[in-house]
Amino acid sequence: MRSFIYYVREFLRPEWIRKFFSVKTAPLETPTYFKDYPALTGKECTGCFSCMMICPAPGAIAVLRKKDEWEPEVYPGHCIRCGLCVEACPEGVLSSGRILDLTGHDRTTFASWYHLEVDDNLCMRCGNCCVSCPVNRQIDPQLAGTGTSASDEVIMRIEGGRVRILHEEKCTGCKTCEENCPNRAIRVARMVEGVHLEEAEA
Amino acid sequence: MSILQDIKNAVRSRSIHVAYVDVGSCNGCDIEVLACLAPRYDIEQYGIYVHNNPREADVLLVIGSVTPQWVDKLRDIWDKIPEPKVAVAIGNCPISGCVYARRGTLTSPPVEKYIPIAAQVPGCPPRPTEILNAILSVAPLIYKDYEEKQL
Ligand code: SF4
Ligand code: SF4
Ligand code: SF4
Ligand code: SF4
Repeated sequence: MRSFIYYVREFLRPEWIRKFFSVKTAPLETPTYFKDYPALTGKECTGCFSCMMICPAPGAIAVLRKKDEWEPEVYPGHCIRCGLCVEACPEGVLSSGRILDLTGHDRTTFASWYHLEVDDNLCMRCGNCCVSCPVNRQIDPQLAGTGTSASDEVIMRIEGGRVRILHEEKCTGCKTCEENCPNRAIRVARMVEGVHLEEAEA
Repeated sequence: MSILQDIKNAVRSRSIHVAYVDVGSCNGCDIEVLACLAPRYDIEQYGIYVHNNPREADVLLVIGSVTPQWVDKLRDIWDKIPEPKVAVAIGNCPISGCVYARRGTLTSPPVEKYIPIAAQVPGCPPRPTEILNAILSVAPLIYKDYEEKQL
């Protein structure tokens, strides 16, 4: 009986009744470290397209020519707020959360290159990739229609009935070879590595 | 009539029933919807109740970028929800297909092709607060004075 009275008394306290009807969790604020859509910092964009190159989401960012200057534009609904563009931009044009502070503090940056790979099972040795490659064309204007070349400086050439990749590092990542391959045998992959800047460079 | 409508408005503003459907996503957005239910965000304190029953739902949260198997089923679910109803697209997937919008994938976004979408919450995934705000701001627009608007 005593416990019953105790309970009733406890639940009749005005404080308890007030809380019962009005209690809410604290207003939800977005923390300052939240990585929101990248915003412009106002620094000048040089139009190097590093941000577009690194972006993993299709159609999320475009660097547009506005009057006389370049300006990146991020599209919500496509952007996944990964923040890679913020980190990749050498000029610090974009910012999001505390990414810039952290990369500045840790002196980290990205190094990237392109990796070419030919699946020998799919490749039919047509040479389309070697011929269509604009870099190849520039290096060796004499490049034969079959993809063979006398030059050792080309990115890739047909050698002994196979595609041989000689100078991967010259690839600009345009993916023309991928588009012109009838069998989707050649793939261009962008490789990215986080690197730590030396004291002197930072 | 208008007193009755006022009562309905008041009741409905504190009683929004939500069903969510995942039509082919990575599950990231589902987990954020789940986080809305947890004590940190506590969606029920706003009078929003999540039970996955289209028959008693007011708001349908659509997650994911629509795989072929979902095309007709999504329509079925939408038809089962009684009026007044509203669909909210959660995440990038129903808006653009997100990372699945590439050559060779089977998804066919946007979800607007299949059912009418009243609001979109972009993000991959969106924050629970963004989901909450979207539901809270879109629901009254649809339900307020619903019967009077019908006349
Ligand atoms: S945050 Fe990520 S997804 Fe968004 S634009 Fe930048 S790189 Fe692309
Ligand atoms: S925003 Fe930065 S990374 Fe992108 S094009 Fe401009 S300078 Fe280059
Ligand atoms: S275009 Fe494709 S199939 Fe032709 S040689 Fe190059 S990788 Fe092989
Ligand atoms: S929007 Fe992103 S997090 Fe949400 S389901 Fe699609 S891929 Fe996953």
